[in-house]
Amino acid sequence: MTMPASRVARPSTIEEAVRLLADNGPEAVIIAGGTDVVPNLQMKLFAPRVLVDIKPIRVLQGITIAAAGALRLGALTTLTEIVGSPLLQASYPVLVSAAATIAGPLQRNMGTLGGNLCLETRCLWYNQSHFWRKALGGCLKKDGDVCHVAPGGKRCWAAWSGDSAPALLTLDAEVEITGPRGRRRLPLAQFYLNDGMNRIALGRDELVTSVYLPARTAGRRGIYHKLRIRDSIDYPLAGVAVTLEVDRSGVCREARVAITAVNPAPLLVKEASEWLVGQRYSAELVDRVAHAAIRTGKPLTTSASTPVYRREMVRLFARRALEEAWKNGNA
Amino acid sequence: MPDRVNKAEITCTVNGETLSLKAYPMARLLDVLRQELRLTGTKEGCGEGECGACSVWIDGEIANSCLVPVLQVAGSEIKTIEGIATGEQLHAVQEAFISCGGAQCGICTPGMVMAAVNLLERTPHPSETEIRMGLAGNLCRCTGYMKIFEAVVRACQATGVKA
Repeated sequence: MTMPASRVARPSTIEEAVRLLADNGPEAVIIAGGTDVVPNLQMKLFAPRVLVDIKPIRVLQGITIAAAGALRLGALTTLTEIVGSPLLQASYPVLVSAAATIAGPLQRNMGTLGGNLCLETRCLWYNQSHFWRKALGGCLKKDGDVCHVAPGGKRCWAAWSGDSAPALLTLDAEVEITGPRGRRRLPLAQFYLNDGMNRIALGRDELVTSVYLPARTAGRRGIYHKLRIRDSIDYPLAGVAVTLEVDRSGVCREARVAITAVNPAPLLVKEASEWLVGQRYSAELVDRVAHAAIRTGKPLTTSASTPVYRREMVRLFARRALEEAWKNGNA
Repeated sequence: MPDRVNKAEITCTVNGETLSLKAYPMARLLDVLRQELRLTGTKEGCGEGECGACSVWIDGEIANSCLVPVLQVAGSEIKTIEGIATGEQLHAVQEAFISCGGAQCGICTPGMVMAAVNLLERTPHPSETEIRMGLAGNLCRCTGYMKIFEAVVRACQATGVKA
């Protein structure tokens, strides 16, 4: 497959990268690991004049301790680094559990955390070759005006298909964004817009620079479960992340459940925290939360797997993850 | 429309040799290796980063060369399948692939060998699970994987496989 004959800029500082993005507006696309953007370029989903390669920006690398005991993960931290970090395994195991399921080992070597948080949304009708899409007359998101998933609707349902985002949602993570007006930090939950077309709250002249994990969620038990066709490589068709804080007497003190790949955004299941806190484990309670999880998910025919199956797998994963985290601690 | 883009001069190290080459910045590393450098051991399978046939090492990490615009490897150290044997002396992994019948059509083989050698350099005594995980990014449509797996086990037999 061929790539567009774009110019490639290799800034070595954040400021330089932001300036390139601001100067080129919609004509610029960011590349880091390339595992998501390169296939998309090959499918001609976008044809930028300039690719801004942020890989040479050293300050975006690595895991460091930040103010107030928070952990800062640079946007260029690779998924392999996350999977292999003893610090993350000890303090934020849900993130390691999720990162270990992302694609395969080769993609994890190249793919970065920042890139995984900014993935393009995915749909059966969108992530296809130019020839394939042209034969169909395009779709709402690209080169057409009809959504083939929900014809008649004006909303794009392409699914958020990342694995690290739901895990980070259950850790109350914040994302740091840098643009021409400086740095801003926002809760990750506000970064996702639940719109297949306009998926993230990131301006064309902005760059995700870091992710912050707060000290208060360190040590929470957690696990991530994921549905995919091939266990060694695929994007999620459904996924559930759970974190729990359980005291010595077995009472839940804090709880988060997040789901992915069944909406245009990764979403926290709001009822989970309310219903679980102050409670002891019971199969009924877990079933009730699992049911709230499938009510939060709205899978449509955006993938080769049926919405009914994906919904039921959300229920199963929510139940299983809660049970494992509650009874066994970290899996 | 994208502007007319000129070739860029890129310096990198390939199999221990420092090279300066001219290529379009968005040319895939895979194509530069095969067409410019005539290192045709690296194969193209899916061309979209799924199958691992085009596996090479970039700065010691195994990666899909079909996903890498060549400008991104400026200053990097690349290793391809041609850099695995020492002269005429095959690597233990290559010998094991031959003796175990770990290759059939041969398209996945260079990538499999790159993944296996990379695994053994990091983990000289891998467990069976570590071997399976180490090869998880490389797909094979012929062998059913068992003979490949056995080849990797044999390659590290001198040091033994963990239970």
